[in-house]
Amino acid sequence: MKKYALMGLCLLVLLLGTVPIVSAERGVTDTEIRIGQWGPQTGPAALWGAVARGTGCYFDMINDEGGIHGRKINYFLRDDGYMPPRTKAIAKELIEDKQVFAFASGVGTAPGMAVKKYLDSNKVPWVGPATGSTHWAFPPSKYLFANYPLYIDEAAILVNYAVKKMGKKRIAFFYQNDDYGKEGLAGAEYALEKMGMKLVASVSVEPLDTDLSSHCMKLKAAEPDCVLMWLLPKHGAIILGTAAKLGFSPQWMTTSTLSDTDIMYKITKGLFKDVIYVSFGELIDSKSPLMIKYKKAQEKFAAQDRWGIFFYAGFLFVEPMVEALQRAGRDLTADSFVKAMESLKDFQGIGPKLTYGPTQRQGARSSFLAKVEEGGKAVQISDWMSSDVDLDVVLKKLGRI
Amino acid sequence: MFLQLLLSGLSFGSLYALIALAMVIIYKTSEVPNFGQGEMAMLSTFVAFTLLVTYGHSFAISFIGALLFAALLGAFLEFVFLRRAKDPNILSLILITLGFEMVLYGVASWKWGADQRDLPFPVSDFDLVNLGPAVISYLNLATLLVTLALMLLLFLFFRYTKVGIAMKATQQNPMAARVNGIRVNRILSVTWAMSSTIGAVAGIMLAPVATLDPNLMLEPLLKGFASAVLGGMTTLVGSALGGYILGIIENLFGGYVSLEFKSIVAFGIIVLVLCFKPSGLFAKHYIKKV
Repeated sequence: MKKYALMGLCLLVLLLGTVPIVSAERGVTDTEIRIGQWGPQTGPAALWGAVARGTGCYFDMINDEGGIHGRKINYFLRDDGYMPPRTKAIAKELIEDKQVFAFASGVGTAPGMAVKKYLDSNKVPWVGPATGSTHWAFPPSKYLFANYPLYIDEAAILVNYAVKKMGKKRIAFFYQNDDYGKEGLAGAEYALEKMGMKLVASVSVEPLDTDLSSHCMKLKAAEPDCVLMWLLPKHGAIILGTAAKLGFSPQWMTTSTLSDTDIMYKITKGLFKDVIYVSFGELIDSKSPLMIKYKKAQEKFAAQDRWGIFFYAGFLFVEPMVEALQRAGRDLTADSFVKAMESLKDFQGIGPKLTYGPTQRQGARSSFLAKVEEGGKAVQISDWMSSDVDLDVVLKKLGRI
Repeated sequence: MFLQLLLSGLSFGSLYALIALAMVIIYKTSEVPNFGQGEMAMLSTFVAFTLLVTYGHSFAISFIGALLFAALLGAFLEFVFLRRAKDPNILSLILITLGFEMVLYGVASWKWGADQRDLPFPVSDFDLVNLGPAVISYLNLATLLVTLALMLLLFLFFRYTKVGIAMKATQQNPMAARVNGIRVNRILSVTWAMSSTIGAVAGIMLAPVATLDPNLMLEPLLKGFASAVLGGMTTLVGSALGGYILGIIENLFGGYVSLEFKSIVAFGIIVLVLCFKPSGLFAKHYIKKV
């Protein structure tokens, strides 16, 4: 009899324990909203780990201003070292143990892809994965909102600019042999085809290669007057060095991935001068009120971090999330948050204009171009430009639909 | 085009050759391929960087400082970890070197972060020597010369110095060497120090081209290992030649056959060599020590 009493008691406690969790929204209490992010703080991709620290600084700023509808953001940053299995463990820990309401940004296509389904099936909102892959929004999933301009769009915008504005006639493409590089390639091919042109060469590189001499010679042999590169920063530096050595000097163009011009200028020993690149957000020395405010937040909350593009990208990717949290009001649930996200039309912070809708999960389709000058300083050379790529065509070509 | 591919192959090949030399020196004394070699070199290169950029010392001082650090690091790892291994068989020693790899990589990531760095180098990669239709940079030339000089030094060292001869004796028969009054343990420490120093030279010559970050040596180490297998893990000259051959084959393959498969060539070569001449192209014979 005693045994049953004990069991009954246990059952009662268990039931009581679960009741509040079932009724309240996970990760939202009277005083806080819990938000998580993974980001490589160690390992090969740690350069981009600044994104996750930037987000933390942004949340500190929001909290300092009084939070959102009386709630402070409680931020959980975890290091996944760019290793998908660790990203999985982090997602599980943060959702099941720490009970986060949503995920912010997160660097890397592979780590993000590893947890995409898991987040969606647990109804965890996720805003602003920090890569321009098409995997986030195509096909759309309810709780996932992308706001990084697509690599496809970036490449098309660059090609259009090269041909129409600069009169370039022979475009070549140098890319990393994976999704990142191939999506850029597809965008460039699409834009050229539309103008009745073709790439004069497309050369790929494996992520681990160090010696790029033969790659460079192959590019040079095609005699391009403009080369787009979709690479790791390291390969960008090696190819520019090798090209300079071989007397090969086309107009180099590149993606937002290589937009940390300070570092690129330094590691290329100045060869990064005159490179044209796509930017997904305002330039580092921008005097816009928001950028000035963010810079102040960095000085106050994260003085040990360098004020670089990837750091304030951590603000940029999460701006729409904070806006939607505001719009969702005090009565915050995953579904009211999604509704609020979908209500964003031409919302702009320091990044591109964002528009979402019931079936639209890719918020950004525009970027602007910048050119690197002496000393690694970048200068904006175009306004925000929208991409005219028909994504259905390109996705079909990539075998995605 | 052919000449240019050849020259580029030679200059990268000489880096592979240095790494192969570093690996072989250790392999010859202990039959252990040291997979920590790359990170040891990377860490030493970071030391050079810190002395040069952070503390503003001259290149000569930084270079020598880094080599000293490398030597100490090599001796330290041997003395503190490998020598303590109880009843070591080859496999457990290899595992220990893999452990070095991870620990040193972690240390470098923690201390210097993942930002790409530029290691200022006194010889320029952009000043060129024209050789007809092809060019070679001063830096490439310097790498070639340094490698050749090191090979010569090693040759003289093993031929004419007491320590060198003691090392050879240790390689051939540790027991007999000990009976003859050679302090085998000390010889092993010296071996590790030498190997680590040569690796550091490779790292410092590579960094100006490839930019410095904790991943500096990941790929070059594999290539250096492949070179050593190709040339023969038991011959210094052979393994270095293996480096040059690999560099050239890779570049010619990339230039004329396929860029996509260029990076796989090295591993294809390992497989082929292991199938047809497991001791390597230039090793005289293969004797399994019992």
